Amino acid sequence: MVKLRARCLLLGDAAVGKTALSHMFHNDGTLFQKNYSMTAGVELLMKCVNIPETSDSVELYLIDSAGKQTLVEACEKMWGELSMLCLVFDLTSEQSFVNCSYWMERVRAHCQGLHIPGILVGNKSDLTARREVQASVAQEWAQSRGMEYHETSAKEKENCDALLLSLAQTFHSLYQERRSAIQNLSPG
Amino acid sequence: MIDPPLSSLGAKVVVVTSGDEEHPPENIIDGDSRTFWMSTGMFPQEFIICFAESTKVSAVTVDSYNVKHLKIEKNTSRYASQFESVTEKEFEHTDGHLQSNSISLNGSSATHLRFIITSGYDHFVSVHRVSVPQLPS
Repeated sequence: MVKLRARCLLLGDAAVGKTALSHMFHNDGTLFQKNYSMTAGVELLMKCVNIPETSDSVELYLIDSAGKQTLVEACEKMWGELSMLCLVFDLTSEQSFVNCSYWMERVRAHCQGLHIPGILVGNKSDLTARREVQASVAQEWAQSRGMEYHETSAKEKENCDALLLSLAQTFHSLYQERRSAIQNLSPG
Repeated sequence: MIDPPLSSLGAKVVVVTSGDEEHPPENIIDGDSRTFWMSTGMFPQEFIICFAESTKVSAVTVDSYNVKHLKIEKNTSRYASQFESVTEKEFEHTDGHLQSNSISLNGSSATHLRFIITSGYDHFVSVHRVSVPQLPS
């Protein structure tokens, strides 16, 4: 049995639904916040996820950071040492998808060479008529960066669990990989 | 001269901040650098070694992997509290083999040694062996 801990940053443009998603994670989808209140700083939520078919679990410390450009610099000071990235865009906004590259670069610079595993999330999948980003395009973008891609609707509570599980499993696999590498080390 | 494993001298690991059942903290003091304790995510990480009796410690040798910065504290109390800072050290990164660092502790007495890993070169770090060279009695 292993209990892993990961500091996971939720990042993406303003109003793509990062806070809505993180609240869904936190209250297991019982409440979708209908009024919009922009996150001005950083919010921290903890969620424990069990890895199926094992007795292992991952405690995710989710950091919901403001996506508004003018606030990013101040928020970055509170990101800390990150373990994972959950990059979110709005399926009805092409621009929010294009900006994912910018956010990736920002995180890469922040982490100074340490590889940060992550997943890509297209949110607001319930707004089918207004969709601007095709699944195949997003999928390809994610794949080329070694990330898994998921589509969710925080409003319809669609796929939120799958998202959490994917985050936890990504970190769990990284741990297993590192552990077997250490087992095969030669003595100093 | 090979130092006897700390566990054979009655030392115990009494506090640890990460746990993988397959790699328990006892592996740190069993004298075998093939067995290890591993951190399971985020920093800082720490462990506390408690000696059977107050022990004069001139130095410790730490075999580890991916540890970047280590702080060592000690106390002379029966309880694992009220530590005073002794030293800290930045470890070199190694690739494919263990880090082995000898750290001088200026020969003071201690009942507990507290090791705080404040940062690492990767998400996870491992500690394979902590040994204390025996002073000639």
